[in-house]
Amino acid sequence: MFDRQAFIDNILDHYENPRHRGKLEDATVAIKGGNPGCGDIITAYLKLDPADHDRVLDVSFEGEGCTISQAAASILSEQIIGLPLAEVTALDHEAFIEDLGREVVVNRLRCATLALNTVKAAQRKLNDMRAGKVDPVSSTDDDAPLTF
Amino acid sequence: MTTAAELNNKGYAHPEALVTTDWVAAHLNDPTIRLIESNEDILLYEQGHIPGAIQIDWVGDLNDRVRRDYLDRQHFAELMQRYGINNDTMLVFYGDKNNWWATYAFWVFQLFGHVNARVMDGGRAKWIAEGRPLSKDKPVFTASQYQAPERNDTKIRAFRDEVMGHLQAKRPLVDVRSPKEFSGEMLHMEAYPQEGALRGGHIPGARNVPWAQAVREDGTFKSADELRAIYENREGLNADQDVITYCRIGERSSHSWFVLTYLLGYTHVRNYDGSWTEWGNLVNAPIEK
Repeated sequence: MFDRQAFIDNILDHYENPRHRGKLEDATVAIKGGNPGCGDIITAYLKLDPADHDRVLDVSFEGEGCTISQAAASILSEQIIGLPLAEVTALDHEAFIEDLGREVVVNRLRCATLALNTVKAAQRKLNDMRAGKVDPVSSTDDDAPLTF
Repeated sequence: MTTAAELNNKGYAHPEALVTTDWVAAHLNDPTIRLIESNEDILLYEQGHIPGAIQIDWVGDLNDRVRRDYLDRQHFAELMQRYGINNDTMLVFYGDKNNWWATYAFWVFQLFGHVNARVMDGGRAKWIAEGRPLSKDKPVFTASQYQAPERNDTKIRAFRDEVMGHLQAKRPLVDVRSPKEFSGEMLHMEAYPQEGALRGGHIPGARNVPWAQAVREDGTFKSADELRAIYENREGLNADQDVITYCRIGERSSHSWFVLTYLLGYTHVRNYDGSWTEWGNLVNAPIEK
């Protein structure tokens, strides 16, 4: 178990050296989320395997905002590769907050869970895409960010 | 680099409300001064802060945990005691985003009457841009015996009923949000998620003076002449008026409150911290677009 400083160091490491950062050109679904509290924006790109329970083959994040919101996206990216999308959708907020270090992020919970909420919304967008309700493109440039 | 002389030459009504980065650098080891960093991004402090500075967070330290309100007298006293702050300690606030959150903290401290307070002109960004030292060490202080008075919400804080009376009396309101928030096209700043109020627009009669018009590119405040050109020549305000500022939750407007009160010397400015997240949700409140 990390102590407080170790959680901080972990977050800062992910902020300064983000994993899976950038745009995934061959993403199956892309979705944008935002936090009105401090203007954090996250776009998540998921490449899924439709032949295997929409398992996450690859993931990336783009965005801008505070240290916690951007680091949390990096930390989450390492957790969801290989999971079926249904398991991503079912990820537990509380467990993720514990992973980040509750004591460190407790006053910025919306920042901490922005990336998680964004990927959790991917299933619905994927369903809409497959039902022909939304354009099946990965660009989110014109999308208004979802808020949680 | 802004020197103390340049600060004095900027024509402010109360230049003593500001200190320069030079001044702070020369007072890093002064035990009668406490540096307070207040940021939107809570982990900037962990990445490095002015040596000896403490962090006070607007969510964790200054908000009541249950009600939409600020901390009470007892909790303010405990906060001050924890950081070894005495009633006569000079507090110097600084932070990210052009001191946006630093002035918010400064404003809350004024609700408790801690008048020996300053803002470091240019904030965190200027200190870093000048290549000045940062530290990751968190200072520890011997607890003080700070005595806090009851919070005084009458002088510099406005509540919704007072705002209603203010607009009916056609007294000046300054909406410091972005033009698109003011017009009702957006409910938050551009590129920020649109949330927080059910209706867009502004309080009828309000003037729109986005808060950041008061700062230069380096994050320092504009001179008094430049500020008067905005608030007085363009918007028709004057220092004798009873003015209420507001934004979305009262943080951006605390910056404008600081500008009008300390830099231009307005004697009766209140910040409506309920702001648009209250007014834009109030049933039947008058709104102009």
